[in-house]
Amino acid sequence: MSRSTHKGPFVHPSLIKKVGGQNLKGTKIPIQTWSRASVILPEFVGHTFNVHNGRAFLKVYVTEDMVGHRLGEFAPTRTFRGHQKKDR
Amino acid sequence: MPRLLGVDIPNEKRIETALQYLYGVGQHTARKALAELSIKGSVRAKDLKDDEVATIAAYLEQHFVVEGALRRSNLQNIARLKEIYCYRGLRHRRGLPVHGQRTRCNARTRKGPRKTVANKKILRK
Repeated sequence: MSRSTHKGPFVHPSLIKKVGGQNLKGTKIPIQTWSRASVILPEFVGHTFNVHNGRAFLKVYVTEDMVGHRLGEFAPTRTFRGHQKKDR
Repeated sequence: MPRLLGVDIPNEKRIETALQYLYGVGQHTARKALAELSIKGSVRAKDLKDDEVATIAAYLEQHFVVEGALRRSNLQNIARLKEIYCYRGLRHRRGLPVHGQRTRCNARTRKGPRKTVANKKILRK
């Protein structure tokens, strides 16, 4: 079941504050965040986020197409380097 | 045999059913279109008059996204996901299930035929 529309998209309050502040000042300093569940708002476009993937922060540059997705979708949490090759 | 929207040639079935051979038209859309145009769903496709065929085609094109246009928009949606490097896009790229299904076993629809790994059991030990 999807989220009620009257609540609006979920974004961590501190993220809104930080992005809003930067937009006022016109700066685009990367914002470090653990809030992977936050939805990307149109205001976020052009900003860079450092999204935590459980181990490290991955740089995510937000483009227009990403609006409506969540930050976590762009910071994969799993590493898969392929299956083990048989060695002799 | 009547031709509808380009290549599709529905056959000797009731039009209600024959329409569903179009990409993007299911039972609901087919019935709705016929009701709207007051054509009986039980008429066989071959018995349709030419002008009826034309009105059905026009109606479907106008009110629904079907056939080529639908295929194109689907592909574009997937291409968009691939482009922005989101999780779903990565799953599409890899040819793995997109909606969080398990992949330890099954998932054969996406992964294709099994690729047997020789001596898998021995290697694990």
